[in-house]
Amino acid sequence: MKFRKLSSISLQVKISSIYIFTNLLVMIVNVILLLGINNISNRLDMVYQDNLHLNELSDSLTVVQDNMTDYLSSKTSDSLEDYYRSEQDYRMMLEDLNEEITGISFDRMERNIKYMSEDYLEEVSQTIEAKRGRNVEKYRIHYEKATQMYEYINTYISSLNMEKFRNNSEQYSALLQRFRLFEVTSLISMVLVMTSNVCIIISFVGTSIRPLKKLAGSADEVAKGNFDIELLPVESEDEVGVVTGAFNQMVVSIGKYIERLRESMEAERALKERELMMEAHLKDARLKYLQAQINPHFLFNTLNAGAQLAMMEGADRTYDYVQKVAQFYRYNMKKSEETVTIEDEIEMVDYYVYILNVRFAGDIHYEKKIDPSLLSVEMPGMILQPIVENCVNHGIREMGSEGKICLSVYRVEHSVCISVKDNGIGMSRETIDKVMSGTYREEGMAAGSNGIGMDNVISRMKLFTKNEDVMAISSEGEGMGTEVFLYLNDRQETRQE
Amino acid sequence: MWTMILTTVCIVMTMVMAVYVIWFYQSGLVEETEKESYDKYYIMITEDSKSSIWKSIYQGACERALEENAYVDWLGDTLFEEYSVEELMQIATASAVDGIIVTANENDELTGLINEAAAEGIPVVTLYGDNTKSARCSFVGVGSYNMGREYGKQALKIINERREEETAEGAIGLIVEKDGMVQAAVEEDGILGSKNRPVKVAVLVNAYAQDLDQNILCSGIQETIEQERSEDIEIELSLISVDDTNAFSVEESIRDIFMEQDVPDIMICLNELTTTCVYQAVVDYNKVGEVSILGYYDSDTIIHAIDRNVIYATVAIDTKQMGGFCIDALQEYHELGYTSQYFTADIRLICKDNVAEYLKRGENADEIP
Repeated sequence: MKFRKLSSISLQVKISSIYIFTNLLVMIVNVILLLGINNISNRLDMVYQDNLHLNELSDSLTVVQDNMTDYLSSKTSDSLEDYYRSEQDYRMMLEDLNEEITGISFDRMERNIKYMSEDYLEEVSQTIEAKRGRNVEKYRIHYEKATQMYEYINTYISSLNMEKFRNNSEQYSALLQRFRLFEVTSLISMVLVMTSNVCIIISFVGTSIRPLKKLAGSADEVAKGNFDIELLPVESEDEVGVVTGAFNQMVVSIGKYIERLRESMEAERALKERELMMEAHLKDARLKYLQAQINPHFLFNTLNAGAQLAMMEGADRTYDYVQKVAQFYRYNMKKSEETVTIEDEIEMVDYYVYILNVRFAGDIHYEKKIDPSLLSVEMPGMILQPIVENCVNHGIREMGSEGKICLSVYRVEHSVCISVKDNGIGMSRETIDKVMSGTYREEGMAAGSNGIGMDNVISRMKLFTKNEDVMAISSEGEGMGTEVFLYLNDRQETRQE
Repeated sequence: MWTMILTTVCIVMTMVMAVYVIWFYQSGLVEETEKESYDKYYIMITEDSKSSIWKSIYQGACERALEENAYVDWLGDTLFEEYSVEELMQIATASAVDGIIVTANENDELTGLINEAAAEGIPVVTLYGDNTKSARCSFVGVGSYNMGREYGKQALKIINERREEETAEGAIGLIVEKDGMVQAAVEEDGILGSKNRPVKVAVLVNAYAQDLDQNILCSGIQETIEQERSEDIEIELSLISVDDTNAFSVEESIRDIFMEQDVPDIMICLNELTTTCVYQAVVDYNKVGEVSILGYYDSDTIIHAIDRNVIYATVAIDTKQMGGFCIDALQEYHELGYTSQYFTADIRLICKDNVAEYLKRGENADEIP
């Protein structure tokens, strides 16, 4: 309970009170020491006070005696007056003397002096009385007695004075010794108090700073990105405690936030993955479907049988046509996943254009400008045919007049360029951008298409050349035709050589 | 952790220091308040303040007085000027004390002073020496007659011992010494105590003291010797006055005795100073064995002298008892208005036989501060 109360005090109050406490301690010790020094110095002052008193007493006694003698010799009223005054003074001084019988010899001597003085004063007053009464014989006797008594008292006072002086001197040296001792004691106690103060402050500051140090260490860890730190215990309810609590809360909040972020990212990624998977599955399914529908070998064999039949019947054109269709499908079936040469690809385009021309009765004018040295350059298969197919489907077919397709292969600096140009309806800028970014979607699978889209062509070209600039499309506007450029690295050729 | 321990230790040390400082204050105050009050105040006056006998008596009186809640001051000791007994009596009377203990003599001046004190209502006890004519309330002394008898007995014992020795030596002397002169001398002088060679016993008395006790003591010696000596022993008893008028005259007087031809065989000393002086003179004049000393009091010097066979024996007074009696007399007087006229302190004889225990006592006394 008490500890709890203590821990709830604010840091400011704690620091202030510890400094006040230590300063108070030093002050108390100083005050005690000062009082001690004051006490000793007072006592040192008082040591010889007794001797001074005794000297005064002795002087006063002498004055009485002198005044009496004066009166006896001159009998003036002045001297009588002086005598009375001095007697009064002396009596006053006697009042202060000790009367008790104690174990201390000084006290007893004082007592004796007092009684002897009273006796003496009695004797003196009798002397004065006798003198006033002119009783010569009587005052002489009294005078002698008084004088003798005066001497005794003087001796007594001197003895006492002497004894006291001796005693006081001893006391004085004893006091001095104690003073020295006190000095040493003071020094030691000062050192002790200072040490204890230093210790108190060190231990206090240590305890106050410890949570801060821990906090700093933890903050450092967090700064390095480690959020899995142990939460700091809140030891007190002061400012440090508050900061520690806030820090703990912050660490927990950040951790939670990061967790939440990670979870949402995870979800998004999963969603995307699912989409991709679905697409892949779709494609896969479509392929399976096609595969299932058309058994290529069966189709090929069928076509071959057709070709033989045509040849036997002497229908040469039919034979040629069926033969080329069979070649086209075989290529289609065999090369779609392989690396081929430009020559192969051009041959494929040749078949395709022939078939189309047969189908549509020579609508398409097919022109080739080929650098023969580049025929052996490698490239991915099933690239040119889809491009040509696009030219036919989108460029030429919708055009009423005669379509032209020009295929050129030539060298541009270090790369090989294949250009496919048509005189079709052309493409708008937006469509070109869409096609290039791969976001263009064809509605439905056109008849006669092998199902390979432009995006597929572009990505396969990119994978093959490991280059981003693999294709370009240029169109000079509506009805002005479209030209597609494909760029291949020369090194395919080099490897071939 | 260690800082906590250190802090605790420091705080504890500071507390201890504080306690010490407080004690420091208190001790100063206690010194001043430590006073005890007494009912009665007595003063003791003696002839001199140096002899250990007076110190011992004062000590006895002091101890007894404290028991009775009274205090005794030895007046001569506290004043730094030397005063005579009479002057000190005046001081004491003027100081209006409750009682005076004084070593008196039969002096008329002292009688007057004692009477004066008594008139003032101060009881006076005479110690050791009496003043019979005065109005003193009591006298504390030693049984002088008994003491005298003791001295006498001891003197006879010495004589007997020495005669026995001489008889033995004399016989041997006759055989060994063939020389006529010596033989004749021995025969002429005869043995100690014979008619031709009487034993000379000297009592050293104070010359000017009209002391009755001294006379009684001397007669005690005389009577004992007369009564108890054997018929064939001749003894010459004489009194030798020792001048005690000033501080150094006692020693001079004693040296004078030894300077003379006729040195006594036995010397009886009646106070401590005389005993010490005679002892030293016997040693200095090489008279050990020839002069037998009967001493007085049991100071360390005297005890050691007995141990060394220089002093034959000494009579010691129970000084503590004597001091105690003085206080008893004064207290009794204050309570009852009268008291016993005489108090007699015990005496003990210290000789070779029992000196050991006194030596031991002396050593022990040295150990106790």
